[in-house]
Amino acid sequence: MSEPERNEPEDGPQGEASAGLDALDEGPRPSDPEPDEPGLPEADPDAHPTVRALLDTFEDAVVRHETVSGDQHVVYLDPERNREILRWLHDEPEHAYKLLVDVTGVDLGDGAPLQVVYQLFSLDHARALRVKCLLPLDALEIDSVVPIWAAADWLEREVYDLFGITFRDHPDLRRILMPQDYAEGHPLRKDFPLRGRFSRAEQTRRALAQDVDRFYMPSERAIGREPQEVHFPDPNAPDAPESGPGADA
Amino acid sequence: MGVGDTLPGGGTSSRSGGIFGAGSPTFLTTKLDFVVNWGRRNSLWPMPFGTACCAIEMMASAASNFDISRFGMERMSFSPRQADVLICAGRVPYKLAPVLRRIWDQMPQPKWCVSMGACASSGGVFDVYSMVQGIDTIVPVDVYIPGCPPRPEALIYGLMMIQEKVRQESLADHQKLRAEDPESVAKPRATEDEIVGLTGPFGNSTRQEHLSSAGASTPEGPLGSEAADITSS
Repeated sequence: MSEPERNEPEDGPQGEASAGLDALDEGPRPSDPEPDEPGLPEADPDAHPTVRALLDTFEDAVVRHETVSGDQHVVYLDPERNREILRWLHDEPEHAYKLLVDVTGVDLGDGAPLQVVYQLFSLDHARALRVKCLLPLDALEIDSVVPIWAAADWLEREVYDLFGITFRDHPDLRRILMPQDYAEGHPLRKDFPLRGRFSRAEQTRRALAQDVDRFYMPSERAIGREPQEVHFPDPNAPDAPESGPGADA
Repeated sequence: MGVGDTLPGGGTSSRSGGIFGAGSPTFLTTKLDFVVNWGRRNSLWPMPFGTACCAIEMMASAASNFDISRFGMERMSFSPRQADVLICAGRVPYKLAPVLRRIWDQMPQPKWCVSMGACASSGGVFDVYSMVQGIDTIVPVDVYIPGCPPRPEALIYGLMMIQEKVRQESLADHQKLRAEDPESVAKPRATEDEIVGLTGPFGNSTRQEHLSSAGASTPEGPLGSEAADITSS
């Protein structure tokens, strides 16, 4: 709020920026043709054996390599080849990144491409590696890594929900945190207004109009909907069956 | 001289003694309001709806140091059908709003509602896209307890205020107090204007366009006309 001018729209061929809900319809803007390079210098690939091997094996797909926080190695990959390379990292015995710690996204704003971040850990070799793929704002699609790590299922759903990145071949790409019928966009994007795009009254109305039953799995609904059949015979009915002990005796 | 001596018809029991001792009457006269309200206020069963840190304080209130069972509230009712007081302890996101409303609709009359903590009462610091700005937009609230989170003493004080409110009720007002409109089930309690005015001083979400200026304008999309309706209303 202190720097509204920072959020000034990029002047583009489309003309003036739209506000509020209109921004929702337009979809994302294209990224800058030459986004600013990350401020970090290229790191020495020999410091991390996996990075060395990546550069040797997939030389044309490794865009950048840098270190943050001392020894956290970050490798930027070509988003078109993410699944191929990540599968290699998972399967190759010398690397064996069997543990997918996290999948998340980063939006740096100002038209910078969105980042998909894979935080990997190799239990066999006690090595961590962070893999990033940069997606331009007008092509927010990347291959899902659920076939490699099942743990990516919900993590990718979260990235899809909050950043609007589509994961190809994901088995169940639905919103996970926001309501299924949420219509205001993807909240963690920088172009998302803090209080959402609808008025509070509209948000409240939509929230209460949600179908709560959709929160449950079909198996849970089947339990809850089981009717409890209890029959009380009417004692005053003329053809009421005799009841009580010894009625037939 | 026993009390029974002054009452017509005797009503005394020489066998077992009355309520004030031998020879006193075996009955009391009182107001129906008093008896009913006495029973109600000393057996308020809370329905704990704890969603955040306030719920920890609510649990502490039920534990031995503070012990709301002293006020007849030890029976936390985890089923809305057997509850009298809804204690909403913690922040309520919009996704949870229909759940809270359904729980309230499921509670039988008479029922009361306590909004515990800053987030439940007003949204607190969470003036964001995902958070209900006070549960009084969704359900009617009897007592608001400030604090972040309130201490157990504050919750107990709030519940005692509910007791005081119960004490002052009259059965003659039952129809008025307990009127429920079937049409209002699962609907917001506050009016649209009230809800829109909630974040007024800081700009409502429809008035913060200068902050959402990312993106260039294009012809109206599928949501465009609807959007215009919403922002203009």
